[in-house]
Amino acid sequence: MAANAGYVIAGYLVTALALGGYTLRLFARARTAKRRARTIADRRRDG
Amino acid sequence: MAATAERALGKATSRSGEHLLGIATLVALGVSAVLSLVVTPPDAVQGEVQRIMYVHVPAAWLAYLSFFVVFIASIGYLKTKKTRWDRVAAASAEIGVLFTSLAIVLGMLWGKPVWGTWWTWDPRLTTTAVLLLIYVAYLAIRRITDNPSRRARWAAVVGIVGFIDVPIVHLSVVWWRSLHQGPTVFRLGGPEIEGTMLLALLAGVAAFTITYAYLMTLRLRVGRLEERAAREALSPLVGAER
Repeated sequence: MAANAGYVIAGYLVTALALGGYTLRLFARARTAKRRARTIADRRRDG
Repeated sequence: MAATAERALGKATSRSGEHLLGIATLVALGVSAVLSLVVTPPDAVQGEVQRIMYVHVPAAWLAYLSFFVVFIASIGYLKTKKTRWDRVAAASAEIGVLFTSLAIVLGMLWGKPVWGTWWTWDPRLTTTAVLLLIYVAYLAIRRITDNPSRRARWAAVVGIVGFIDVPIVHLSVVWWRSLHQGPTVFRLGGPEIEGTMLLALLAGVAAFTITYAYLMTLRLRVGRLEERAAREALSPLVGAER
């Protein structure tokens, strides 16, 4: 392996983890907010 | 009433274009990775480690873009008082903090083998750290108050004043003696970089810009949904049921 290749691998891994992780976090936040809004809307409809 | 609420909910979570943008993001990042890791030659002086440039520089430029959007949206909010502007500013600030952090970490990974240190209080590094702190403070300010208009107003002021640091970061390598290299692409006399490397760098910037657009779409949807959930939770009708 070329000298210092470890830093390059770490750099691209960090980039993938940061962008991928943030995207997944946004999906999770959207799901939570959607579920919360739907629960409240259901309670209103049932009530 | 419920049908109206569901229609509004459906509209708020509409994903038209979002999937396409997601696919475009993956393709662009893939092309950029191939260009920067396979197609371009290693640097004559730094060798393989210079390949970090193809993600470090785009991350830094996208941080600038994100905070420029915060700046414009903050002015838009103060002029019109429309919450849409505030939502855009909040989304872009969050993504800007992500890109700034990424630029700093990637710079450290590049700096260690080239400079022999992870961190030094160099003008470029220091002003970038200050930039990160300003926008972390911006996000913190948004959590101080529950009053939406006060929150938006305070945040807009920080979003406008904080942007002053962006040109300081960019010009720090010109104004002060710096360990960090000077401008390579936007400089008098044209870019000082080999053709294939420039192509890979521009592809990286394009890929990160598409990624920014995708993340903005997602983050704006999250913002709309969270606002809607909060509004529903605070509605007097639901309060009366409790």
